[in-house]
Amino acid sequence: MAVRASRTAMQPLIDRIWSSKMTNYIIRRILILPIILFGVTALIFGMLQFLSPAERSALYVRDVPKNEAMMDAVIRRYGLDQPILVQYWNWLMGRIDPVTGNVVGGILRGELGYSRSGSQSVAALLKRRFPATVELALYTIIPIIGIGVTLGIAAAVNHNRWIDQLARVFAILGHSLPSFVLGLLALLFFYAKLQWFPPGRLSDWANNVVLAQTWNTYTSLITVDSLLNGRVDVFLDALRHLILPVMVLSTISWATYLRVTRSSMLETLRQEYVVTARAKGLKERDVINGHARPNALIPVATLSGFTIAGLLGGAVLTETIFDYPGIGQAAGAAAAQLDVIAVLSFTLLSGLILIVANLIVDVMYAFLDPRVRLN
Amino acid sequence: MPDQTNNHKTLLRVEGLVKHFPILAGVFQRQVGVVHAVDGVSFEIRQGETFGLVGESGCGKSTAGRTILQLYRPTAGRVLLYDQDLASMKGETLRRMRQKMQMIFQDPYASLNPRMTIREIVGEPLMVHDVAKDKEIQERVNELLDTVRLNPGFASRYPHEFSGGQRQRIGIARALALQPDFIVCDEPISALDVSIQAQVINLLEDLQAKMGLTYLFIAHDLSMVRHISDRVAVMYLGVLAELAPRDELYEHPLHPYTQALLSAVPVPDPFVEEKRKRIILEGDVPSPVNPPSGCRFRTRCPLADKICAEQMPEWREVVPDHWVACHFVN
Repeated sequence: MAVRASRTAMQPLIDRIWSSKMTNYIIRRILILPIILFGVTALIFGMLQFLSPAERSALYVRDVPKNEAMMDAVIRRYGLDQPILVQYWNWLMGRIDPVTGNVVGGILRGELGYSRSGSQSVAALLKRRFPATVELALYTIIPIIGIGVTLGIAAAVNHNRWIDQLARVFAILGHSLPSFVLGLLALLFFYAKLQWFPPGRLSDWANNVVLAQTWNTYTSLITVDSLLNGRVDVFLDALRHLILPVMVLSTISWATYLRVTRSSMLETLRQEYVVTARAKGLKERDVINGHARPNALIPVATLSGFTIAGLLGGAVLTETIFDYPGIGQAAGAAAAQLDVIAVLSFTLLSGLILIVANLIVDVMYAFLDPRVRLN
Repeated sequence: MPDQTNNHKTLLRVEGLVKHFPILAGVFQRQVGVVHAVDGVSFEIRQGETFGLVGESGCGKSTAGRTILQLYRPTAGRVLLYDQDLASMKGETLRRMRQKMQMIFQDPYASLNPRMTIREIVGEPLMVHDVAKDKEIQERVNELLDTVRLNPGFASRYPHEFSGGQRQRIGIARALALQPDFIVCDEPISALDVSIQAQVINLLEDLQAKMGLTYLFIAHDLSMVRHISDRVAVMYLGVLAELAPRDELYEHPLHPYTQALLSAVPVPDPFVEEKRKRIILEGDVPSPVNPPSGCRFRTRCPLADKICAEQMPEWREVVPDHWVACHFVN
């Protein structure tokens, strides 16, 4: 019966996906994307203007008072004294370098500039760091959804019983432990004391395997690539390094998910159509799983889009604590060293991810909730 | 119109039905009180009749309907459908029994799952009770939609795409899917526009004539109840005040509460309306958390005396088929 139920349940969803209305909706949403992106870049660039040309050039010059002439040269060479609109255009499209005569820079050309804190171009930095953050995010979302949503549903179904009370205590605990506290405690106990889970992304020996000529890179996600390369030992080593940051990073989020799922499910269980489902003669399990849960999870689905976006933007505190070489750690280091170019790029990346996530969430929402109007 | 004599077979018998809701408070959710929603109600519903249940909002009539269908489990009392006690049934037995008894809900907006198409909503009962398979379900759903005068072509739409009256008809189709014998209509027209109400009422009457349905019709609109019911019960604060065949009740009300209720119904004749004496009840309905001792109605009753506070009036048959709970009715 379950198979039959799911097939008929999917059909209208599939119809909806292929409807021309839905296609139009998605196309319209994608067409708005560049406009939102333009707004984001304008905002980021506007923030850059809070620093004076002298302050910005000083970042590239050593021994500032001695080399004032050099500062002026930097300002002129990079056009820092030009009108803001010209600078914005240059930032987007690149500018002609007065010394070499070549077009340089321009974020639309993929030239994000040079990161002083990372000692390489921002593009190269992102390429190296981003996969690590993606990997961390993918593993973090599992306990968030797994623990948070499961406990939330269980708590709501057993409202005011012991499992509900326990879940509420967990939620408060999870919320009230900041990552720098939980992270340091975890390091102290599981690394310093027990030596179970070391910081970093890989042990030295495993890192050498990955950097060797024989290693084939497929996805840059080490847990995936190691299996494709047939190296289970490297896979296990990568997992061992992931466990603590995943635990710390997911704790606060699953506490949020628990609360959102629980309250949404409680709300749904009070709906009249749940009584209707019981009156039809459905088993209580089917009432909860088939009628209440799909409706209760709509806000959770929305939330998950933003959680994933937030995770992909990098977890500054957690990655820094565990010396995990992702975007967050690089962004933290860049900010600490006033590396404006890198910070701008990281902000732009987070913004871009969030906008795309927002689009996906909106489309998903329209799929999940037939009441959403598509025009 | 079905005749109003006593020789009908009893379909449903309610005996001393009680439903109390606990009031929980504090950190440990201790019980600090009880809402006496339904507090000892007994009556019978005969095969093929429409049994009207009227009362002010909050008097427990909806709770009574839901408790009869075991959507709320009763605190005490028995509910016998075909002489089988629903209150003592559990799990699979009760689930199977739901084929025989269904409900039409008051709010056609809240009672349909927004994520299911009409076909799924109406077809699901057939599926969970293994009455029909894929193809048959489709046909049966189309048939049912046709029965409630909806275009079967709309079956793949979602509830929000329909108007209130259409949605209520979807709810009716859903309730009919399993060909039940007994349907609780919980204020099925209160949420609808007046212009739509007659449509739905006519549909309910047609279906009853065609399928031999028995209705428990819960409402607060006295004229509508008079129109549709064979017998009518009046409920006040969790208990029954009076029960009689429709015309008897509307023409010879015995209980002071029934008299007050009926006198509040306007008469569509200005000369009669002008001269008509109306009984205006004083005060508010007391809280069901702390109902008055003795007769529930005594705090607002024009006849109330000492005995009313001391003794609960007996529920008795004063005239054949005319039941009343009042110390002052002979």
